[in-house]
Amino acid sequence: MAIITISRGSYSKGKDVAERVAERLGYECVSRDVLLEASDRFHIPEVKLIRAIHDAPSILDRFKHGKQIFIAYIRSALMCRVANDNIVYHGLAGHVLLTGVPNVLKVRIIADMADRIKAEMEREGISEEDARILLQRDDEERRKWTKALYGVDPWDSSLYDLVVHISTLTVPDAVDFICEAATKDQFKATESYRRKIKNLGLACQVKAALVDPFFDVGVTCESGNVVIYTGANDRQVSKLKKRAKELEKEIEEINNLEVHAGVPIPEDAF
Amino acid sequence: MPIIIISSDSYRTGRDIGEKAARAIFYDYVDRDILPPVCEKYGVQEEKLLKALEETPSFLGLSTKLRNKYLAYIQEATLGQLLDDNVVCHGLAAHLYVLGVSHALKVRVLSDPDILARELSTDAGHPPDKVKKMLKRYEEQRKNWSLGTFNLDETDPSNYDMVISLTQIDPDEAVKTIVDIAGYRKFQPMTYSIRCLQDKELAGRVRVVLMEQFPDVRVIADRSTVVVETKAVKREKRKRTEAIKELAGSIEGVKYVEVHVATDIFRQAAESAR
Repeated sequence: MAIITISRGSYSKGKDVAERVAERLGYECVSRDVLLEASDRFHIPEVKLIRAIHDAPSILDRFKHGKQIFIAYIRSALMCRVANDNIVYHGLAGHVLLTGVPNVLKVRIIADMADRIKAEMEREGISEEDARILLQRDDEERRKWTKALYGVDPWDSSLYDLVVHISTLTVPDAVDFICEAATKDQFKATESYRRKIKNLGLACQVKAALVDPFFDVGVTCESGNVVIYTGANDRQVSKLKKRAKELEKEIEEINNLEVHAGVPIPEDAF
Repeated sequence: MPIIIISSDSYRTGRDIGEKAARAIFYDYVDRDILPPVCEKYGVQEEKLLKALEETPSFLGLSTKLRNKYLAYIQEATLGQLLDDNVVCHGLAAHLYVLGVSHALKVRVLSDPDILARELSTDAGHPPDKVKKMLKRYEEQRKNWSLGTFNLDETDPSNYDMVISLTQIDPDEAVKTIVDIAGYRKFQPMTYSIRCLQDKELAGRVRVVLMEQFPDVRVIADRSTVVVETKAVKREKRKRTEAIKELAGSIEGVKYVEVHVATDIFRQAAESAR
């Protein structure tokens, strides 16, 4: 069984593909639900989370770190959902939010601009020019968002295992390819993968609990042993340690929790 | 049967996938092996044709004029091979000039970057980190090359029907997927798509003949009618039109030649200033 992320631009028929794949494989199909869960769990209005994951960070955002905070919440909610695998996620930024998770089949669905414009015109009842402007703005926003926060371009094919161009190939064709690929051994969840995802989920949960106000901490987890890395000053570190102790009691799955100050944050830390 | 065009970030990977796909469905495999007869026909060194396929024009390398001429030779030879269909083609930039042909399935295959870096590091003796940086530079160079030559970004996935990354997908699985898609009805040749390819092949042949004298020509073919676009100063227009008509008219398959000569405003201005 696998975890499938489907990345798409607006009106690229990616949602249709995701729903059909989930239906055929009997998987759960998740998109906006993750935002609703994060919104409930962290008491943040959904609209703020949507903006955090959709709009590129402004200059002010870079100082306030608002987006990093919201993204940590969304990632934590998503990790909880994927922990059981058998899931198709077609919401925003799945391919980057699930970085580090093994056995994820990463797919991107693209469509011709002319078809996307037509679909948007029909749905929104707007002119061709307006539809084009909206789509171009939306694509640009997505590009800026991913570049600013993760340093990658969502249009870069090397981020995905499969890119399907819906033009000559159709939605049912894309569904066939994805279902076929998802059954391959490399995408099946093994016990060790499940353990790893559980650890990543725990690290994300701790990060989400700390990110406001400790937005620059890095968290790793191995067999329930959580390590928090920080480059903050002594006063901040003592505050962080105090909060970490509380967390150790709040989250049952934590075996041991340590705070490492003044050491470089590992690359795989959340 | 369809034509399968493979593009890749690594020549070795593309060739491997292309050869395997061709073997699996008993298609002919067309690669840079078709270049030696081209070299013989036009008296060019193979090394120069390869340079035209790989490098952007530069002061010390090929000039734009020569690069375009060599690419026209390659294009002519490749399109000639593709007319036979049942062909897997790789390494000749066909994904950038076989456009609008519905029975051409275009797939880009991306190598696992770690494996590629390791292989190249063993071959070249450089550390893997250095090789990774070199690969990044190479990718940028390819992008510039394709944009400068065909006004298309080779790395843009919208120029393909599908992009497969070999990081998690096994090469044999990728081959199977490609072969399966090639069997789809929508990639079977139709009268119209065959005609499109024949038109491109004819345009390619005419361009090679005209380029010797008129390097800036653009050629479009529609059945046996050929439309040639070029630039000239006013006083040369008639002479040039006649010369093009004579040259193009003598090519096999051409029945009518239409020439559109636009005024070369820069040369015209330079001549007026004298």
